[in-house]
Amino acid sequence: MNSIRNNRALTAAALLGLTMVAAACGSSGNAGNAGASPSAPAATEAASTPPASAESASASPSASDASAPSSAANGNGETLTVYLNDFDDIVKPMFEEQTGYKLNIVSGNGAEIMSRIEAEKGNPHWDVVWMDAMPSIEGLDEAGQLLDGWTPSGADKLTDFAKQFVPASHGYYPTGTHAAGVIVYNTQKFDASSVPKTWKDLADPKFKNTVGMADPAVAAPAYPFVAYFFQSLGMDAGKDYFSSLIQNGVHVYPKNPNVTDALKGGEIQVAALQESNAYTFKNSGAPIGIVWPEDGAPGSVRVAAIQKNTRHAEAAKAFVEFLLDPKTQQALIDKGDESYFEPSVQGVNPKPDRAPNAKLVVADAAWASKNEAEIKQWFADHSVK
Amino acid sequence: MPRLFAYGNRTGWLVLAVLVLLILAPLAAVVVQVLLPGVFFGERKLGDLSLLLDVFRRPLWLQSLRNTLILGAGTTLLGTAIGAALATVRSRWSFPGARLLDMAVWLLLITPSFILAQGWVMFAAANGLANQWFGWRWVHDAVFTPAGLIAVMALSKFPFAYLAVHTALEWKVDRLGEAGRLNGGSPWTVWWTIEAPLLLPAYCSGAMLVFMDTVGDFGLPASIAAVFRFPTLPYSIYSALYTSPIRFDMAGVLSFYLVLLIALAMSLQFYVMRKSRFDFLTARATRSTARTPARGKWLLAAGNALLLILAAGVPFVSNLLTSLTRPNGKAGVAFTGEYYRELFDRGGQLGSGLLHSLEIAAGAAFIGLIIGFFVSYVLTYSGFALRQAVDVISLVSLAVPGVVLGIGYIFVWNQAWLDKIGLLLYGKPAILVLAGVAGAIPVITRVLTGAMAKVPKGLLSAAQLQGASFGRRIRTVLLPLMRGALLSAALAAFGSGVFDLAVTSILFPPNFMTLPVVINKAFEDLKLGYAAAATLTGGGIVVAIILALERLLKPKRQGVHNP
Repeated sequence: MNSIRNNRALTAAALLGLTMVAAACGSSGNAGNAGASPSAPAATEAASTPPASAESASASPSASDASAPSSAANGNGETLTVYLNDFDDIVKPMFEEQTGYKLNIVSGNGAEIMSRIEAEKGNPHWDVVWMDAMPSIEGLDEAGQLLDGWTPSGADKLTDFAKQFVPASHGYYPTGTHAAGVIVYNTQKFDASSVPKTWKDLADPKFKNTVGMADPAVAAPAYPFVAYFFQSLGMDAGKDYFSSLIQNGVHVYPKNPNVTDALKGGEIQVAALQESNAYTFKNSGAPIGIVWPEDGAPGSVRVAAIQKNTRHAEAAKAFVEFLLDPKTQQALIDKGDESYFEPSVQGVNPKPDRAPNAKLVVADAAWASKNEAEIKQWFADHSVK
Repeated sequence: MPRLFAYGNRTGWLVLAVLVLLILAPLAAVVVQVLLPGVFFGERKLGDLSLLLDVFRRPLWLQSLRNTLILGAGTTLLGTAIGAALATVRSRWSFPGARLLDMAVWLLLITPSFILAQGWVMFAAANGLANQWFGWRWVHDAVFTPAGLIAVMALSKFPFAYLAVHTALEWKVDRLGEAGRLNGGSPWTVWWTIEAPLLLPAYCSGAMLVFMDTVGDFGLPASIAAVFRFPTLPYSIYSALYTSPIRFDMAGVLSFYLVLLIALAMSLQFYVMRKSRFDFLTARATRSTARTPARGKWLLAAGNALLLILAAGVPFVSNLLTSLTRPNGKAGVAFTGEYYRELFDRGGQLGSGLLHSLEIAAGAAFIGLIIGFFVSYVLTYSGFALRQAVDVISLVSLAVPGVVLGIGYIFVWNQAWLDKIGLLLYGKPAILVLAGVAGAIPVITRVLTGAMAKVPKGLLSAAQLQGASFGRRIRTVLLPLMRGALLSAALAAFGSGVFDLAVTSILFPPNFMTLPVVINKAFEDLKLGYAAAATLTGGGIVVAIILALERLLKPKRQGVHNP
C-alpha cells in the first residue's frame, strides 16, 4: 500500500510542477490583451517586469471605456495590440512617442496573421489589424468582426483614388496602395523593343519557360494580382488567361523574394513582381528593367481596421488616425522596407524613382473576397503538375 | 472494469491525462473542424464530410499524399540504415574523428529542417555554390529529384536512429556475444543472430522517429519548393491554414490522414515486435567501451568523414559561406563580416529572441523529461490497459506539423471562460512552454523507452521485495542505469526546442520574438546573409551549452554507483 501512495504522490508532484511552471510563466508574461499595468510606459519588454498581481489577463479591463477621447501624448500607457505584416520597427516608436499609448505588436507574414485572427475568432486578442490584404479584411468585415460606422477625421485628406476603397460600412481605411505586380525583365536578354509590354504578352511563345510569378495561395500580394484578372476578364476568361500562362511554362514561386532570386539565378528572365521587391532589386545593381503596363498594374491596398469588441477603442482609433496622418505615411516611404507605394492621403510624396505614370488597377474587395476560395483552389490545382 | 483501476494503473491514467491535455486535445480540436466547423466560435453547424474523400480527388492533395508516402518510406529505410550502422560502429570501435560524429549528430538534431534544406538549396540550386565554386552542374539534377530528396532527408534525419541505437548500446552483456563466438560464430553471425534481435526495439523506435519526423516535416518541402515543386501533406496542410480564406476543416482532413499514416506505421511496428522480449541486462552488464580496431581504423575514419561532409558539411558550409560573403558585382563575391556586425547592431533583436528561445526550450525540456520518464515507465513496466494509446499519442506530435498543434493550442487555450480561472494561456509565454513540451515528448520518450527496455522488470521487483518504495526503486535502480539516456533525451529536447519554428510562429505573444521567428523572417525577406549569420551564431551558442552540459553531467566510466 505504501508504494501505491508513493506512486501517486510522485506523479501528482510532477503534475503540480507542470502547473506551477505554467502558471509562473503565465503571470510573468502579462502580454496579450491585458492593458492592466497603469503607468509603465517605459517598459519595453512585456516579459520582463510583471506587476505582481497580474494573474489573469482581464484583471482590470476597460480602463479606456471611461476615459475621454485622448489627444496627443494622453495615452497613459494604455496598451494597444496591433497585428501587422510590415513596418513594425517604424510605427512602434513613432506612435508611442506621439500618443503616449503603448504598442504591442504581433508581426508576421500576411498568412500567419490572418490565420491567427481566424483561430482567435472566439476570443480575439487584437485591437487593430493593418495589412495589405484588403479582400481578406473585407471578409472579416462581412463576418461582423470589425468596428463599423466610424469615420476618422483624417479621412478628409484621402486622395480620390484612395476614397473608392472605403467600404460603405466604414469598417476599414486604406493607408496606401502598391503594385502587386509590375513586369520586370533581364536587360541582358531583352531590350526595349523585345520586352513584354502588356500582361497578354507573357503568354507569347517568345517567353516560353522564362516567366515567373508568386503563388497567390502563399504570397499576400499575389492574390490581389490574380484576382484583378479574374474580375476584369470574367471568371472563364481569367482561367483561360492563366491556363495560357501555365501552358507557356510559367514558374510559380512561393513568394516574391523567391521570384527575385530566380531572376538573379537566371532560371527566369521575365517576371510579374511586387513593386518594392522590383525597385529594391533594381537599386541593388541588378540588370533589371521595370515596365508599368499601360493596361495598369494590379494593386494591393493596405488597410487598417479595428476589432469590433476591442477594449481599447480610443487607442485603436488614435492608431488609425496616426496611419492616416501625412507625416506618418511620409515616414513609411522615407524609412520603410516596403517603401514603394502610392500614399492614401494628400500631401505625401512617393519615392522619387517610382514611375510617375504608375497606373494602378484594383479588384473590387467584395468581389475578390467572395471568389477568393474558388480562384485560389483553381490556381493551386492547375499549377501542380 | 475493475481492472482499469487496478494497482499500477494510476500512473497510467495520470500520464494519459497529461498527454491528452498537451497533445491529443489540441489535435482533436483541429480535426473536429471537419465535423463541426466553428465549434469554438459558438457556431452550430455540420461540416461537409465529402472533404474526407477529396484527398483522392483533388490533384494537389493526391500528389501530396503520394509524395509523403514515397519520402517517408525511402527516408525511413535509408536514414535508419545510416544511423544504426554509425551507432554500432561508434560504440564498438574508436577511430579518429569519432567525437566529430557525436557533435554532428547533435548539430543535425537541433537544426530545424528549414535551415538544413536552405543550406542544400544554397548548395545545389542552379546558381548555387556547387556550380559557382566547382562547376558541378549535375548536382542540381541529382538533388532535385524524389531520390535526391530522400537522400537529403535521410542525411538530416539519421540522428534519430543513431541516438536510439547508441543509447541502447550503452550497456551490454558481453557473455551473450562471447558465447556465440566461442561456439564458432563469425562476428557477422553474432551480430546478425544475437545482437541485432536484442536491439530490435531500438532499431524500431529509431525508424519510427525517422518516419514520423519525415512525414511531418514542413521545412524541407517548403524550402525546396522554391526550386523544385514537391508538395507533401504538411505542405498542403500549411497552405490550408495559411491561405485566406482559412480552412481549418481542410487542415483537419489532411491531419487526419497524417495520423492515420502514423497509426499504420505503429501497427506494423507492433506486429514486427510482437513475439520478442527484450530486457537482457543482468548483473553481468558492463558499460560499453569503444576499442581501437586491429585494422581498418583509417577506413572507418574516412567513411565517417565522407558522411559527415555530406550530412553536416554541405548545409553548414553553405550557411557559413553565405554568412561571410556578399555579391560583388562582376567579381562574383567578396568576403565580409557585415552580417555578423548587424546581428548585434539592431537593437539586440537577436539577443532577446535567443534568450526567449533558450528559456522556453529549457523549461520545455525539464517538464518534458519528467512527463516523458513516466510515459516510458508506463510503456515499459506497467500493465496499463491503454498502454498502446499512450504509445501512439506520445509520438503523434512529431508527425503532426507544428502549425496544426499551434492552431489547436489557440482553440483550446483561448476560450473566454479560461480567463476566469486564470488559465487563458494563449498570448503568454507559458503557452510556448506547453507547446514545447508537446514537441519534446516524442523524442524524450523514444530515447528513454529504448534505454528502459533493457532494464528487466526483475531488477525493480527484487528491490520491491526488499521493501523499497516506488520512489526509492526509481531513484536507486532505474535512474542510475538510465543517467546517460536521460541526459541525451533532455539535451535533444532542449536543442530542438530552441529552433522550433512552426509552433512559435503561430503562438508567440506580442513583443515576444523567438530565435527561429527572427531567422525565418530574415529568410523570408531574403536577407540570406543575415539569416545564415543568425543561424550559425544561435546554433553555436546552443551547441556550446549542450556540450558543456554533457561534459558536466555525463556519467564517468567508473562513476556510476549501483547500491
